[in-house]
Amino acid sequence: MEEQNKNQTAPQRQLRGLYSKVNISVRSLNIIIIVLAAALIVCMAVGVSNGGFTVSFDPLGGTTVESQRYMYGERIEAPTPPTREGYVFDGWYLDENTTRPWNLEKDIVTESMTLYAGWKLQ
Amino acid sequence: MAEKDKLKKVGDILLNNAMYIIIAIAVVYIAIMRPTFIKLPSIINILSLTAAKLPIALGIGGCIVLTGTDISAGRVVGLTACISASLLTTVFKVFPNMTNAVPLPLVLLLVIGVGALVGFVNGFSVAKFKLHPFIVTLSTQLIVYGIILMYLMRGVNNGQTLSGLDDSYRSFVTGTLFTIGGVAVPKYVLYSLILTIIMWVIWNKTTFGKNMFAVGSNEEAANVSGVNVMRTIIMVFMLAGMMYGITGFLDGARIASANANTGLNYECDAIAACVIGGVSFVGGIGRISGIVVGVLLLQIIFTGLNFLAVDANMLYIIKGLIILIACAIDMRKYLVRK
Repeated sequence: MEEQNKNQTAPQRQLRGLYSKVNISVRSLNIIIIVLAAALIVCMAVGVSNGGFTVSFDPLGGTTVESQRYMYGERIEAPTPPTREGYVFDGWYLDENTTRPWNLEKDIVTESMTLYAGWKLQ
Repeated sequence: MAEKDKLKKVGDILLNNAMYIIIAIAVVYIAIMRPTFIKLPSIINILSLTAAKLPIALGIGGCIVLTGTDISAGRVVGLTACISASLLTTVFKVFPNMTNAVPLPLVLLLVIGVGALVGFVNGFSVAKFKLHPFIVTLSTQLIVYGIILMYLMRGVNNGQTLSGLDDSYRSFVTGTLFTIGGVAVPKYVLYSLILTIIMWVIWNKTTFGKNMFAVGSNEEAANVSGVNVMRTIIMVFMLAGMMYGITGFLDGARIASANANTGLNYECDAIAACVIGGVSFVGGIGRISGIVVGVLLLQIIFTGLNFLAVDANMLYIIKGLIILIACAIDMRKYLVRK
């Protein structure tokens, strides 16, 4: 009750700058902050419980390869190599131009990604 | 009554620091779930990535102090990264007639110039025509994106990713500065540190810096007291543009390639980092140290979520919420200040 009276006698400070058109009370802001913080925590929790990165394989003209799911820091288990008529499969690459090879023994998964098949003419 | 005041004070502290508290809880949780998160390699990785994202945030910080913002930042980084990667390469696809890489300092000057030019267009439009920075930088963002796409179509490149970078360029940026416990610290950490010091001096020790804060907190008052408002605004945007140019130069080598998506959404991260770090949209409020802390905190939380293998799609939602919360806290701090 006392607080309300105080609010009436001393008007709230006016926001300026980018917020100059914003008309909001501290009390509403408190609620907004708490609600958004809760939403943020929920989103993080959902994200963590559904954790896992999808590694897709683009055969670039070869037979299709199923995508796999990994956690952070895991190594990719080599899928059954795709086949393509007139070509020999020569490993997975990070880019479509097949310039940056993926090292199955060393490289670890750090994000969702697509690997591209490298092909050599037979 | 005293009890009530105390409670209010605790509430104030909790709400004003809500973001830091959430991040702290998240970090503790991640450290327990994935102990490698707090091991040396991961910490150095976080610090390096912070250094990589710092220059762009330092640039945008100035625009926010002026109660503006700059959403063209990410695309300028993309353009300058593409320019660097096309000139400092071993396979000249964009310029098929070239045989040797252009000298490093020349390219660095060129990309700083390109950044400054875009910054000048932004700043001039904001200062001269009193346009809102959102509108101006939205259009320059699109224009720059168009230029990137056209640039990548040049020569025989046909819009592809630029890679095969020159070794001297890569080692200049990602070469080892020194190693701690067998983990290499890349050279761009040093460059980022130098830029931070330069920006600190500009913000705190120069007339231009003082004018920037004056214009940010009250443009009319600054004008009356003899500050050249137009020149100050243009210079802030140009300085920001130069920072994006340097970021692009470093990013090209850091990622070892550049394409039309390089730099995408960098401005969102940088703006979020600034607001978390206490650079207020109210105008005229902000510190370099705050920006550094903001970038670091964001990097910690996103590296951590990455360790927990949180999907990139969810990260966008989390980022959006973080910006909203940071703005709400920003407003609250201004309103309750006495």
